[in-house]
Amino acid sequence: MFFSKKKKELEPKVSLDKLQGEIEQEIWDDLTKDLSLTPHLKEEIKKLVKERAREELQKELKDRYAELREEKVEIPPPEEKKKEEVMYPRLSLDVRIQHIILMVSTIILIITGLPIKFHELAWAKFFFSAIGGLQVSRILHRVGAAGLIGIALYHLLFLAFSKEGREIFKELLPRKKDLKDLWIMLNYFIGRKRERAKFGKFTYVEKFDYWAVYWGMVVMVLSGLILWFLGTALKIFPKFIADIAKEAHSDEATLATLAIIIWHFYNAHLNPEKFPMNWSWLNGKISEEDMKKEHFLEWVKIREEEEKEIETKKAEEGKFKEQRGENIL
Amino acid sequence: MKKIRIIISLCFFLISLPVHGLTQELPSNQECRHCHSNPNLKKVLPDGKVISEYVDFDLFYKSVHKKQACVYCHIDATNFPCKNLQKVNCQRCHYKGNLAGAPDLIKYKEYGESVHGRATALGDVKAPMCQDCHGSHYIFDKADTLSRTNKEHIPQTCGACHLNIYDIYRISVHGEALRKKHILAAPSCADCHGEHNIKEHTDPKSKVFLTQVSVTCAKCHANMELIKKYDIPVEPVETYRESFHGVAIKFGAKTVANCSSCHEVHAIFKSDDPRSSIYVDNIPKTCGKCHPGASENFAKGKIHINPAKKEAGIIYYVSQFFKYLTLSVMFALIIYIILDLRKKIKVRRTGEE
Repeated sequence: MFFSKKKKELEPKVSLDKLQGEIEQEIWDDLTKDLSLTPHLKEEIKKLVKERAREELQKELKDRYAELREEKVEIPPPEEKKKEEVMYPRLSLDVRIQHIILMVSTIILIITGLPIKFHELAWAKFFFSAIGGLQVSRILHRVGAAGLIGIALYHLLFLAFSKEGREIFKELLPRKKDLKDLWIMLNYFIGRKRERAKFGKFTYVEKFDYWAVYWGMVVMVLSGLILWFLGTALKIFPKFIADIAKEAHSDEATLATLAIIIWHFYNAHLNPEKFPMNWSWLNGKISEEDMKKEHFLEWVKIREEEEKEIETKKAEEGKFKEQRGENIL
Repeated sequence: MKKIRIIISLCFFLISLPVHGLTQELPSNQECRHCHSNPNLKKVLPDGKVISEYVDFDLFYKSVHKKQACVYCHIDATNFPCKNLQKVNCQRCHYKGNLAGAPDLIKYKEYGESVHGRATALGDVKAPMCQDCHGSHYIFDKADTLSRTNKEHIPQTCGACHLNIYDIYRISVHGEALRKKHILAAPSCADCHGEHNIKEHTDPKSKVFLTQVSVTCAKCHANMELIKKYDIPVEPVETYRESFHGVAIKFGAKTVANCSSCHEVHAIFKSDDPRSSIYVDNIPKTCGKCHPGASENFAKGKIHINPAKKEAGIIYYVSQFFKYLTLSVMFALIIYIILDLRKKIKVRRTGEE
C-alpha cells in the first residue's frame, strides 16, 4: 500500500487510476465470460477483482521502477579509458632501491634515537623495556646509521659516475625558476592567479625535499660519527667539538623528524590528491594526468622527443624504402 | 567488684615485679663507682688488648640514662668482682610498648637488614651494635654536641672503624665544610650512606648503589636553597640527567658514569683543587677510567652543559640556531600546506580552478 501511494505522488494520479481500471476490466472480462451471476456474488467478485488488480498494478510499477533505476546506474561512462591511461617512467629501479634503504634506515634511527632525547617521557621508558634495554637500542641505532652512511656514499658515487645520476643532479640544482614558481603557486593558492606554475622534471617541493635530506645527512652523519667513535674523535678534536656534535645531532634529528612527519607525509601521503600515497616510489611510474599537471614542461619535452623519434623513424623508413626502390630499380 | 579490684591490683603487682622486685638486692651505682671512677682501671683481654674500664660518672649523669642504675643494663654485674660481663643488650628496655618509658623509636628492623646488622647476625664480633655508634655510657640526644651521633661527630664515630675512609673524608670538601666551617648542611657519612639502613654499595637498595648515586647527591646538589646559600656550581644534577651518562644509567646501563665515577667517592674536592679528580690536569686520567686513552682534549670544554643557557658558550649558539631554524622552517611549511589545502577544497567545491 505504502509503495503505491508513493508512486501516485510521483506519477500523475489520473493515469494510475486509468491503469487500474483497465486491469480490473480485463480480469473481470476473463472471469465473467461464460457465467451468469447473482447480484450478491457479483459484488463479492468485484471486490476480489479490485484487490487482484491492485496487486498486479503494484508489480508492474515495481518492475518499471527497477528498470528506471538500473538505467540510471548504467549512465556513468565506461571505465575503459582509465585503463588505457599512459604511464610515464618517473623513478628508476636504482633510485627506488636507494629511497627504500634511506627510508628503512631513517625509521630505525628515529625510533631508536628519539627516546634518548625525550627520555623523561613515559613512552621512552616503555620503548626501552619493550626492545630489551638501551644497549639493544644503541646497536640498532648503529645498524640504521650504517645503512644511512652506506646509502649516502652510494648516492654520491651514483651522482658522480652514472649517466642517470648526473642528469638527475643537474635537474635537481636549485634555479631562479623555482622561486618564480613558488611565487606563482602562492598567488594561485590565494586566488590571484588562475594558472598553476608549469614545472620541469622536479618541482621546487621535490627539490626542497632533496636538499633538506642532503643537509640533514651531512649534519647527522658527521655529528653521528663523532659520537660513535668518541674516543678517536677526542684524540683529534677538543671536547667542545663533541658537545657541539651532540647538540647538533639531537636538534637536527628533531628537525628532520618534524619535516618528515609534517612535510613529507603531507606531500606524499596525506595530500588529498595523493592519498593514501604517491605510488611512484614503488612502481616508478607517473600517470599522464599527473605528468601534465605537475611536470608540464617535462611532459612537453618527452612528447616532443617522441614525435621526433617517430619522424626520424619515418624518415629512416622512407630512406630505406628509397634505397630498396633504387636497388630494385 | 571486690574480686575485680583484687585481680587488677594483682596484675599490676605481677607486671612491676621484674622491675622493682629484682633490683632491690642489686648493687647501687655508688657501689660501682667505688672502683670504676678510677681512671687507671684497666682490663687486659685474652688477645693482649688493653681496654679502660673507667667510667666518667659526671658525664654519665648528664647523659639520657642519668636516672638508670648500672645494673639495669649490666644485668650480670650482680656479684663482686664483676668479671666477664656480657655485652649490653639495648633491646631489654628499648622495645615497642616497654614499661620503663624508654624511647621506642626502634630501628632494629632497618639495622637487621643493614650490612652491619647482617654481619652481627652472622657472628662477626667486629660488626657494630647499637652501643658502638651511639656510645655506651655517654649517650646524648643527637642535637647535643656531646653526642656521638651528633652530625659533626658522625664522621669520627664511623671513622673509629672505617679509619681509611675517614682519613680521606676528613680533608675532602664535605669533610672540611662540616668539621672546619661547621656548615651543618654539608654531608656527614649518614647523609649519603643512611643511618641504620646502611647497605653495601653493590646492593640495589643502597643509597650509594650506582643508579642511586645521582639521587642521593641531588638531595643537596639540586636543592636550590642550598645552591644559592653555599654557591654550589649550577645545576650539575639536571645537566647530568640530560647527558648521555644520565640517560644511559636511567635505562639500566651498568657501565656508565655516575656522579662519583668522576668526582670520586670520598675524595671529593673543588675543581680548582689540584687534588681533585676533576682538576684540569687530572681529567684525562679520570675520564680514562672508562674511555681508554683519554687525552687532554677531554679537558677542553665544559662538562655539565645546559645548552639553553649562555654559560654553555658555543653550544648555546648551536642550540639557538637549530631552535630558530626548526621553528621558522616548520612555520613556513605549515603555512604552505594550509594554503594548498584551502585552494584544493575550493577547487573541489566549485569545480573550477
